[in-house]
Amino acid sequence: MKVYFRLISVILALSLLLVACGPAAPSGGGDTDTGNQGGGDSSEVTVAPPSELDDISTDVIDANLTATISLGNWPPDTAPDAERAFFEGAKAIMLQQYPNVTVVPAYFSYTLTNYVPMALGGTAPTLFQPPFTDPQLLISQGLVADVTDALEEFGILEKFSPSFIEMLGDENGRIFGLPRDGYVLGMHININLFEEAGLMTEDGLPDFPRTLQEVAEKGQIIREQTGKAALAFMASETQGGWIYTNIAWNFGAVGENALLIQDADGKWIANLTSEPAIAALEYIKSLRWEYDILNADATTTTWGSAHTLLGTGEVAMNFAADDAVDNPTAQNGLAVDKFAIIPFPAGPGGAYALRGGTCYMFAPNTTTDQAVASLGFLRLIGMLPFLDDDIIAGMRAGAAASRERGSPVLPRTPAWNDEEFIAMQRSIAEEYSNVDMRLYDDFFNSLTDGSITFRAEEPVFAQELYRTITNAIQRVITNEDADVFAAMERARERFQEYLDDEIN
Amino acid sequence: MLSSPSQLPAKGEFMDKQERLGERSYKWIYDLKSWLIMLPGIVLFMFFVWGPLLQSVHMSLYKTRNIELVEFVGLQNYIRVISREDFTQALLNTLSYTFWSLLIGFMIPIFLAILIGETLKGKGFIRTAAYIPNILPGLATVLLWKAFLSAERSGVFNVILGYFGFEPMVFLSQSNLVIPIIIVTATWKGAGATALIYMAGMAGINPELYEAATIDGAGIWRRIRYITLPAIFNLSSTMLILQIIFIFQIMYEPLVLTGGGPDDASLSLMLLMWRYAFGGNMDYGRASAVAVLIALLLLVFTTIYTIVNKRKTNWDM
Repeated sequence: MKVYFRLISVILALSLLLVACGPAAPSGGGDTDTGNQGGGDSSEVTVAPPSELDDISTDVIDANLTATISLGNWPPDTAPDAERAFFEGAKAIMLQQYPNVTVVPAYFSYTLTNYVPMALGGTAPTLFQPPFTDPQLLISQGLVADVTDALEEFGILEKFSPSFIEMLGDENGRIFGLPRDGYVLGMHININLFEEAGLMTEDGLPDFPRTLQEVAEKGQIIREQTGKAALAFMASETQGGWIYTNIAWNFGAVGENALLIQDADGKWIANLTSEPAIAALEYIKSLRWEYDILNADATTTTWGSAHTLLGTGEVAMNFAADDAVDNPTAQNGLAVDKFAIIPFPAGPGGAYALRGGTCYMFAPNTTTDQAVASLGFLRLIGMLPFLDDDIIAGMRAGAAASRERGSPVLPRTPAWNDEEFIAMQRSIAEEYSNVDMRLYDDFFNSLTDGSITFRAEEPVFAQELYRTITNAIQRVITNEDADVFAAMERARERFQEYLDDEIN
Repeated sequence: MLSSPSQLPAKGEFMDKQERLGERSYKWIYDLKSWLIMLPGIVLFMFFVWGPLLQSVHMSLYKTRNIELVEFVGLQNYIRVISREDFTQALLNTLSYTFWSLLIGFMIPIFLAILIGETLKGKGFIRTAAYIPNILPGLATVLLWKAFLSAERSGVFNVILGYFGFEPMVFLSQSNLVIPIIIVTATWKGAGATALIYMAGMAGINPELYEAATIDGAGIWRRIRYITLPAIFNLSSTMLILQIIFIFQIMYEPLVLTGGGPDDASLSLMLLMWRYAFGGNMDYGRASAVAVLIALLLLVFTTIYTIVNKRKTNWDM
């Protein structure tokens, strides 16, 4: 009997410990905004007065469609009145045109950490907005619904760019989402610090760095002249590796020197000790120890805090994309006329830039009817490549609201292959422009003139790769004597081991 | 079955049996009541504790696709987890957290309890002030510390240093300092509550001992050395093991302050488990394996403590 009691005691003790340790009970880790890397402000919406949303064509959706849909990123009570009114108006029109469709607002903003338990528990909203870093993981884990049929019904599949089909589809050609908007990684500029450092051209424009070498040299001038750090470098968790990959591409880590390559047998190889890969980390190390231009707390700097540093004038430059122009300006107080975005600086190996974006995806238990109803709502708010007077009015209202809140009104990186839709977006941006476009021309011209080659994220286990490289970055920027090759060799070994475990 | 009078029990014997039966049924009813009282607790335990526990152990033996068990892999998850460099790093870091926690965090609550006990004026204020950090939400305090410890010029400590003419300092990016700094933040939050437990223990010390010692000329240090500390020795032993258990599960402090960096210098075992589960790969099988390993390590510590404590109790007898 005593033995049984002992056994029960041991089990009890173990159980108490495990509950504290168990993965089923995440203990308030908080969102360190890794989920947002490159994802931009996922709560951004188009705003339009509800009265202008009427008479939407019902040709695609059956008027008797019956479904209940819950829509994530619904504006909360704290959102601007116009934004909330716009969504409520769209909801009212949905009810009017499709009386059997019930729209349930969901105040849900996606992060991988908060989405997974909801998806598994069957409580995730029908529609949510993850960044393009996550769809492949969600698809492989069966955590999103196949919406190919609904997209075909809407006739918008042919307007997907091939890269988006790749990002949002599986190996069988089934599609699990649709793009919301795209972004291209570039560099955000705080013009105040360029002015203070005397880095201005005769035209009164900032003397922007065009190459990675110029970033280091001009950054050094800024630091010497202003006493402030020149460059925010987010080297925490996975984000250091995320920026590193773009720097490495520009040092030539593409093609046979790519960070991830496949051998003749299809085996994935971590190619992290190639000459360009090493040169890229040498460069980052030099930014800390030779040029001394990085912000002091780079190892804890996140996507969000880097924007804060730039917006509040603590740094002059930040590697960031065009979907996040709201963060340093409207959210952190930098005046729109003191903000600019330039193309990702070229390196000795070329000029490449990461192209990504935010997408719409659907909870795993979504039916085709629910997906169709959700697409109907997206069409109403102008997020699908359809144009009519009401949708154009919505786009205008969105631009007006951005201008009002002190956010630069700019053309957007297109999410759809639809010339008419893109042209309309651009013309509205021009109409409501509140910036000197000379500060943005280099960036937006680079999207179309071929001066920059776009690349998607690394093809497999990108997050694990980024984390492993971030460790190497942290090592060399916190220890002047750290050996770059040794750091990358260690990263290579670790990631290769991971690849062998998981995929090879 | 009784077949003849000779087989009938004697009267006294019969009564004894009746009494024993009555006693048994009374005991059974008494036990039933106890079980009924415990029933809600047991059900809750089964649902929230034992269920997840067994599921965690079960899951650690499978390859998973989110929470689905895909394939039984035996101890493969354990082998993979242990063979990776980050596990060794996390284990060493967790032992380092434990060391610094005992060095910095173990004595401070005792000191606080003695300080509050010896204070004549403002005792309530000091007691409340010491306990307030424990009332604040854990995540909020860590975010607060993050703002204080930021190495940027806008970091609160650096603003203060700048006021006195010092250059800004780097705190969380130094591999050799990051764990002690995190322990300081955890101690700041938890010391007040632990001090209250010590104060409760000290309240049980016979005041006549102090009076006698004072009459004999013992000063405050000798009273503490010869009366207070021996009196709370058993309590402090328990607190020691509880502190080790607590610190072995440190997670949200390094997660928010450093993300485990720089270069995994502050990665704890619990944070490693979090990474497997939520860090981008959703590998719940290996996350469960790490959880079970942490539990086993703690079980070892607890067993050692129990054995040592038992021996000590035997010696005392």
